[in-house]
Amino acid sequence: MSETPLIEIRNLRKFYGEKEVLKGINLDIYPGQVIGYIGPNGAGKSTTVKILTGLIPDFGGEVIVNGINMAQNPLEIKKLIGYVPENAEIYDVLTPMEYLDFIGKLYSMEETALHDRAAKLLTAFGLGTNKNDRMDTFSKGMKQKVLLIAGIINNPKIIILDEPLSGLDANAVIMIKELIMRLSQEGKTIFYCSHMMDVVEKVSDRILLINKGEIIADGTFESLKQNHSDTLEQIFSKLTGREDQSNETDAIINAFE
Amino acid sequence: MEKIFLRFVKFISPVLQKTGVDTTQLYEIIKVKLMMDERRPKAMFAARKNMQNNTKVQSPWLITFFTVLMGLFIGLVLFLNQMPFVGQTLYFLIFMTLMSITLISDFTTVLIDTRDQFIILPRPVNDRTVAVSRILHISFYVLRLALLQGIAGLVIVGFTDGIAAVPLLFIQILLATFMSIFFVNIIYLLLMRSVSPQRFKDIISYFQIGFSVIIFGTYYLLPRLINISVLENISLITHWWSWLLPPVWIAGLNELIIHGARAGFITIPLAVLGVLTPIVGLWLVAKVLAPGFNRRLAIIATSDGNSTSAPKITKVEKTSFFDKIANIVAPDPVENAGFKITMKLAARSRDFKLKVYPAFAYVPMYFLYFVLKGNGSLTDKLDKLQHGHSYIFLPYLCTFILTNILMNVSMSDKYKSAWVYYALPVDQPGKILSGMYKAIIVGFFLPYCLIISIPVILVWGPQTINDIILAVLIGIIYGILMALFTVKGLPFSKPVIAKQGGGRFISTMMIMIFIAAVGFGHYLISRWELVIWILIVPFLILNLVMFHYYKKQTWENIEMADM
Repeated sequence: MSETPLIEIRNLRKFYGEKEVLKGINLDIYPGQVIGYIGPNGAGKSTTVKILTGLIPDFGGEVIVNGINMAQNPLEIKKLIGYVPENAEIYDVLTPMEYLDFIGKLYSMEETALHDRAAKLLTAFGLGTNKNDRMDTFSKGMKQKVLLIAGIINNPKIIILDEPLSGLDANAVIMIKELIMRLSQEGKTIFYCSHMMDVVEKVSDRILLINKGEIIADGTFESLKQNHSDTLEQIFSKLTGREDQSNETDAIINAFE
Repeated sequence: MEKIFLRFVKFISPVLQKTGVDTTQLYEIIKVKLMMDERRPKAMFAARKNMQNNTKVQSPWLITFFTVLMGLFIGLVLFLNQMPFVGQTLYFLIFMTLMSITLISDFTTVLIDTRDQFIILPRPVNDRTVAVSRILHISFYVLRLALLQGIAGLVIVGFTDGIAAVPLLFIQILLATFMSIFFVNIIYLLLMRSVSPQRFKDIISYFQIGFSVIIFGTYYLLPRLINISVLENISLITHWWSWLLPPVWIAGLNELIIHGARAGFITIPLAVLGVLTPIVGLWLVAKVLAPGFNRRLAIIATSDGNSTSAPKITKVEKTSFFDKIANIVAPDPVENAGFKITMKLAARSRDFKLKVYPAFAYVPMYFLYFVLKGNGSLTDKLDKLQHGHSYIFLPYLCTFILTNILMNVSMSDKYKSAWVYYALPVDQPGKILSGMYKAIIVGFFLPYCLIISIPVILVWGPQTINDIILAVLIGIIYGILMALFTVKGLPFSKPVIAKQGGGRFISTMMIMIFIAAVGFGHYLISRWELVIWILIVPFLILNLVMFHYYKKQTWENIEMADM
């Protein structure tokens, strides 16, 4: 691990009206790390990601990526980042090739190299035969694959994945897990948000748990395990204050009586 | 046309580059946006793309043709050029209204394309490039529309006012278009300032409803109320209020330059206004309104779902009121479910409201249209109306609403949610259908008839009550017949497609003829009050019997959409 952090987040705060969603987050992320970012719904996960990708321009505190300040030069930061959004938004009247051509050119990529790479990636993801079909006929998994490709088409230093496995079948999931590890070996920094604890457990070098706008756990899976329990799922529910799971299920069963 | 525009974008690139726009990105964004426009079916022309079947994409040529045709109809008013201002003012009034409405309705999808926030914003594209791409995209769309809509007018004005008026009209059309953009922008901004995005889309759809009602009303009623020859000789400009109408300003240009001899002094300031307002308006849009607009859109898109809205307590009470009615009229659980789901989806689905609500306004218009037909002065006709029995047709016309609702109730954009009907153990889908039908009657038909009957009773007296009750009962029977023969799907369970013709059309016609005959019979015997009262009883029984059988429909009678 290198000594200078690639992403520095200092005292990050964000309000939605009266509600404070992020309550002063501090983070140093080093190159090559795979960060598993987990937390219950509404904890502030998506907000962090949206700030990191420059979607939310107004926030309190400081975000510095590769020595560049987000508040001053978001464009330079955006060039370093590949982003796969959670809500699977895509211009689905386009074909994958048209879509990737568009995205690549927004990164100012040169056309022949871009088309070559897009075609190779599509084939590698098993969409080679569909590359000129409109995406409105695609299944959820196929669209997700195109989004993943769009997230790495510019060979970014940092890859931010928000729930990237939704809609993918088991083989594709295995492939993506392997891909994440390979990308990290290539020196990419990966910021991985998910609710799927078993996947996070396997792919992450470092796990961050956010709850109610604060980071409440930060460390490798091994170090978290020593303090708490033996699966990430249990750690998660303990730390987010949901130890009484059995009471809840009791209540559910009792409702039938 | 797209290619020419893209070339134009390349042409002005050097200038834009100096203002900080990344021109390669700009070119790509516009190229993709135009490509998507071309592939997207237009909202203005109701025939939607069949979701299942992508080969049947609407041809852009057809839309072009209709726009030109519409322009031709508007252009016809230009023949009214005897008196100053009249024809041109009317032309631009309609032109600008059409333009504004098209902008509002067709462009909501583009302007509030929240996908941009996730697709373009995370990429290294600066704000100015995004803003300029949006402005250029809109301009292209609008100018294309303006030209198509105006082309017929350009030809016509050449005949009426001479060849010199053609280039002038071209400029006038541009000015009118700029002014429309200005208005639309202000409307959007006012709405965005004051309401949530969800509400915003609702309000836009009310605009569309209002618009279709206005078009319908002017088409059917205006010629009955106003004599066209009067219109031709009206001296518009002597009324001071006409000076406040923007179309008058634009028409003033033609008056000043082409008919300079007859132009009064007031024409000059009006014409100056006609040139200045659009230009100032456009400048305001670009400099003042657009930046706030984009920021606002960004906030809407990113904060969506995070906004904490206060729970509405009044709404809860209202639903419980309808729940009580539901329990009374549809006691069977399955029927009750059908009733409530129809009621709630119909009240909340924007698409459904857009198609059905205009019909509420059409009914009284139709009525006036029919009774005001023929010669004689307006007061004579109204007098005759009050002493006749023609009011009986009003409740019968309400069946138009039933037809309209029944035609739309089984369709939805989100038809796939209807999987629940097929996944759950429903043995008698007829129960859902009868619940649906009862919801239509209780939720729409009866309240509407009630409202319609108030003026009827006020104008024609209480002896009309029995006629209304009988007509409503017959209307409900008509509805069941229609539902039985034409509604083959469960509520909101089928994709929205262009209406299918064929066998259904015949059965619809048969039912309509039948009900018209019954209605006419009612009209003939309406002088015997007691007979009407007595007739109510058998028709009530007939209603109950029909409901009983309607409920018995099985899965074989129901068409399912592919899930």
